Amino acid sequence: MSHQDEQVWVIWKTLKRWFHMLGSPPTFSRFARTVSPWLWAAFAICLVYGIYLALYVVPPDYQQSDTSRIMYIHVPSAWQAMLIYVIMAVLASIALIWRIRMTEIMAMSCAPIGAAFTLICLVTGSIWGRPMWGTWWEWDARLTSMLVLLFIYIGIMALYAAFDDRRKAARIASVLVLAGAVNIPIIHFSVEWWTTLHQGQTIRLLGESSLHSSMMPPLLWLTVAIKFMFGAALLDRSRNELLEQDQSKQWVQRELEGQFDARQQTRAADHA
Amino acid sequence: MIPDFEYAAFVWSSYLVFALVMTWQVVQPMLRRRRIKKQLLEQFEEQQAARLMQNRNSQNQNFRENRI
Repeated sequence: MSHQDEQVWVIWKTLKRWFHMLGSPPTFSRFARTVSPWLWAAFAICLVYGIYLALYVVPPDYQQSDTSRIMYIHVPSAWQAMLIYVIMAVLASIALIWRIRMTEIMAMSCAPIGAAFTLICLVTGSIWGRPMWGTWWEWDARLTSMLVLLFIYIGIMALYAAFDDRRKAARIASVLVLAGAVNIPIIHFSVEWWTTLHQGQTIRLLGESSLHSSMMPPLLWLTVAIKFMFGAALLDRSRNELLEQDQSKQWVQRELEGQFDARQQTRAADHA
Repeated sequence: MIPDFEYAAFVWSSYLVFALVMTWQVVQPMLRRRRIKKQLLEQFEEQQAARLMQNRNSQNQNFRENRI
């Protein structure tokens, strides 16, 4: 085994160990409690700077004027809505194959965040469409497939809420997640497969983007901000779900013992 | 340099929607956690009180048995 292979092997083993460690509810809860405030802080910094660039620094578009500023929140939201679905589908697959409870909880916690970004994408797109296309809504392939994505997210949330047994609910909703994954390539390629009112791909990871370079910084800052926000919200929501499901377990009581003592002391002081 | 920010209502309404949804994403987990913690602490207090009562009852019983 070469030195490089050995390094890759060590990284793989470390990641695997981390993954298994985070499968333990107390470890996950501690991890989420420690990491999420930092992610929220990173989100706030990137968001403020990104919005400052988007609303103040970047010049207006020569054709669309200031309406193009809507793009800086519309595009990152659309990307995130699709990325969240992919992450949710991966987590749901792991949950169905290996029955790891933490992945079930995380997959289900992805749905409301994904729905929120899909909603932002649809609403801001519609607001942009009114002055640019002369209509709030058009039943074109890209818009319709995004609307279907919102319905899928809502369907997953409703299905998860429909059962008292949370594990059974998560497994059934995970099947719907996997079935709905077919919509993601449809959204992505809709502008190529069909003639749509929505513009084609302008920003490419590989290859040249047709977007002007002055418009890139706010887009990137807000994209990064939204990634941090997703991470923080996912950890917080998953931890909440975990605390609610495990409320009778000892690790939850141990975690709350300190707060209980503080509450008792406050009460005693009030009483005195 | 003070920005004038004289953008059309379309721009502001988009950013307002974004701000509202983001705020909800921040606030919702906080509110839920607060509710869960309150519920758990109440349960915990009830359990502690029940345990105390049980201890007191067993102490009383021991005391009575010793007297007899």
